[in-house]
Amino acid sequence: MAEAVQNARAARGPVRPRGGGHGPDTVRRSRGALLWALPPVALLALFFLYPLALVVRQSFRPDSGGTSLQPYADVFASEAFRHALWTTVWLAGASTAGCLALGFALALVIAFVPFPGAKAVARFIDVYLSFPSFLITLALLFIYGTTGIVGSFQFLTTPWGVLLAEVTYFTPFVMRPLLAAFSQLDTAQLEAASSLGARAPRIVRQVILPEALPALAAGGSLVLVLCLNEFGIVLFTGAKGVTTLPMLVYGKAILESDYPGACVVAVVNVLISVGLYGLYRVVSRRAGA
Amino acid sequence: MLVHSRKARWAVWAVFLVLFLPLFALPLLVVLGASFATHWSGVLPSHLTTANYRSATRGEALQALTTSLLTAITASLLALTVGTWAALAGAALRKRYRRLLDALFVLPVAVPSVVVGLSVLVAFSQPPMLLNGTRWIVIVAHTVLVTAFAHQSVSAAITRLDPAYEQAAASLGARPSYVLWRVRLPLLLPSLTAAAGLCFALSMGELSATMMLYPPDWTPLPVLVYAATDRGALFTGSAVAVVLMTATLLVLFAVSRVRTRASYR
Amino acid sequence: MGIRFDSVTVAYDGNVVLDSLDLTVGPGEVMALLGPSGSGKTTALRAVAGFVRPASGRVLLGGRDVTDLPPYRRGIGMVVQQYALFPHLRVDDNVAFGLKARRSPKVSRSGIRQRVAEALEMTGMAAYARRHPRELSGGQQQRVAIARALAIRPDVLLLDEPLSALDAQLRSGMLAELARLHRELPDVSMLYVTHDQVEALTLADRIAVMDKARLQACGTPRELYRAPANEFTASFVGNANLLPVTVGAGGVGFAGTELKVDTADAVAGARATLCVRPHLVGLGEGPNRLAGVVREIQWRGATHRLYVEVDGHAVMADVRELKDPPRHGDPVSLHFAPDDAVLLPAGMSHG
Repeated sequence: MAEAVQNARAARGPVRPRGGGHGPDTVRRSRGALLWALPPVALLALFFLYPLALVVRQSFRPDSGGTSLQPYADVFASEAFRHALWTTVWLAGASTAGCLALGFALALVIAFVPFPGAKAVARFIDVYLSFPSFLITLALLFIYGTTGIVGSFQFLTTPWGVLLAEVTYFTPFVMRPLLAAFSQLDTAQLEAASSLGARAPRIVRQVILPEALPALAAGGSLVLVLCLNEFGIVLFTGAKGVTTLPMLVYGKAILESDYPGACVVAVVNVLISVGLYGLYRVVSRRAGA
Repeated sequence: MLVHSRKARWAVWAVFLVLFLPLFALPLLVVLGASFATHWSGVLPSHLTTANYRSATRGEALQALTTSLLTAITASLLALTVGTWAALAGAALRKRYRRLLDALFVLPVAVPSVVVGLSVLVAFSQPPMLLNGTRWIVIVAHTVLVTAFAHQSVSAAITRLDPAYEQAAASLGARPSYVLWRVRLPLLLPSLTAAAGLCFALSMGELSATMMLYPPDWTPLPVLVYAATDRGALFTGSAVAVVLMTATLLVLFAVSRVRTRASYR
Repeated sequence: MGIRFDSVTVAYDGNVVLDSLDLTVGPGEVMALLGPSGSGKTTALRAVAGFVRPASGRVLLGGRDVTDLPPYRRGIGMVVQQYALFPHLRVDDNVAFGLKARRSPKVSRSGIRQRVAEALEMTGMAAYARRHPRELSGGQQQRVAIARALAIRPDVLLLDEPLSALDAQLRSGMLAELARLHRELPDVSMLYVTHDQVEALTLADRIAVMDKARLQACGTPRELYRAPANEFTASFVGNANLLPVTVGAGGVGFAGTELKVDTADAVAGARATLCVRPHLVGLGEGPNRLAGVVREIQWRGATHRLYVEVDGHAVMADVRELKDPPRHGDPVSLHFAPDDAVLLPAGMSHG
């Protein structure tokens, strides 16, 4: 996932035109190139698109037989679904906002107020990204859990516990593209700004922030989608009170064996996530990011 | 440097530490500490022991480690092959088709892993491809999930590759297949190993889809960690989690050694 | 084996970057394609290499139409500005690359080794065979790139701004090396793309001057320098004073002065441009005298460059170092010999 963030950034950088641009060269790229693209696409279709299509089909097939919108009506009518939908969306939104604010502040310090060991911290973040998300909840269980360090209060079983865990886990996903963007920022710009008498907050607002916007957008949108889809963190809290869409999919499919219902929730979840991700890709391409 | 006064600098650093340490370093330290304890109700864990590790490195846990390693290695290699193939084929396509291909291969990032698990479950629980109940259904789901990342990082690397190398090779009389094997793939090797490491780490920690799919005889480590936590065995769970992290880090370290050598050549 | 462009036109997305180029490079000839960036010179070279496909026209190598051949079947050697040495291969493997890639049955393994050694010897890089490209300096990398291109014994060598990544001192050294290589390999035709007139004048048997996607002039360096065909060529091949004049009988009128020059085929009364090289302009009295005021004076060691304003026109004069140079604002006289001036058709802008 970390790589995806970085690539979103790398795509901004100067990219060499391939083989002399899209002029006469492309003429030679004939059907052969399309044929070569076929095998991986076929594999993707078989193992990803086809199963996904089956999920959509199943969502229109209630257990009672036939094809109808009944599963959708049932799911949309249930209090549990509406609650889960709301919880998922606001948790993802709040986590993303938290990650952006925290990630920006921390990356700012690492990049522009460097201290001995700042490099090690940056490397630590890379390592951190390769750990699974549920480790964070596991740790929080010791700190805030019923038998924990802080004591026996039920913080973790509230959405706030999930929010804390998500901000903790996903902040590095914002920091990495930011650090990459900051490393490209010309320090001469900062020196010029401060020699003209600008103070730190003003420099951050007027010089650094505009430069960091594409990286923030890339990191933020990725974190938003990942939060919408997050499962491990919520599962590990063991909280009955916090149910998100992915949890609902899991619960309906595995615990209740209600496949049409699970498929309906899955379709809704996919629509939200893919819709947001697609929107981001369109917007960022428009912005030339 | 953004902050010039010494006092302000120390203040900024203090805030940084106050935010950074509890949020990022503490969780890992807590899991590490708990893995060596049986009791934790004060500031520090108590009743220190290595018994958790004895149970985390044998029997069920050892088998789960093997399962996780085999799954992650197989899935990353498959994903790397498919992702690289798609990225290379995409680079030769016209812009319109290339965008379509990129969009297709990035889709698994946006689709929730739980849904990928559900869809694989729905699709492969029925003939003609009955994979449910076998290890292959887990491996298929992991491969689907990590292929997107392999494709993204490899195609980014291909865009960065200077076309001058390919052209120099072609002008020297090398056919496209020869250029691919002797020039492009060797030059992409550092990125390929980086992508492999990323895929491996993601697969090692995969829980969402796995929870939907795993057969009883193919239980990866994250599932075991969850099972332990769920029945209240938090300390054993921590030890298993530390084993999981260590295994991931060791493999990543080995991969990065290969990468340094590849880029040094 | 010669190269022939047969009205080659190249367009990117409807933008014509090379406009019906007709040019022939004879076997063993060194042809420089000289022009500013964006003039289409590199596109022409890439059309020979096979990296761009002409929208119309044909490219012939040794009489064979190669327009539809992929690059790897053209058998040409190529050296580019950034060298493009394969960073993962050692110097000798880089040089052997073309020989191995072709899998020619005529060249055995020991044959390859011998050819590699030969090519490295020829470029003076034999001592560096086991190094990696990144362990070499820019000049050394350039030599390896040339050795790599020569190892396949091409009949045609394409050089795309090969010296522009080197500093000035290395550049003149490499220029001499290239001239020596050309003497040692008299049968290899070379197409040499550059924006540097010194490189073109030094190395080329003939120069093709390009501007705005078109061939502007083609001839030996001496022809182009002594008798440029148009203002662009005059200003791009060497420095030139380009004076707007009116053709009279047996001379031209400039700033109210009659100048004696050869007006062979110009119609009296027509407007024209007179081209005089600055180093052929003398200070003091003489034939074709021009009176003006010194506007700027630059000391360049061996010479003085004077910018003299003559009736609102700046005239440059390069004179041997002056013991007692005139000062800014001093009135001076300039002169030039009638046969040192060339009359060009007017109207074509330069630059």
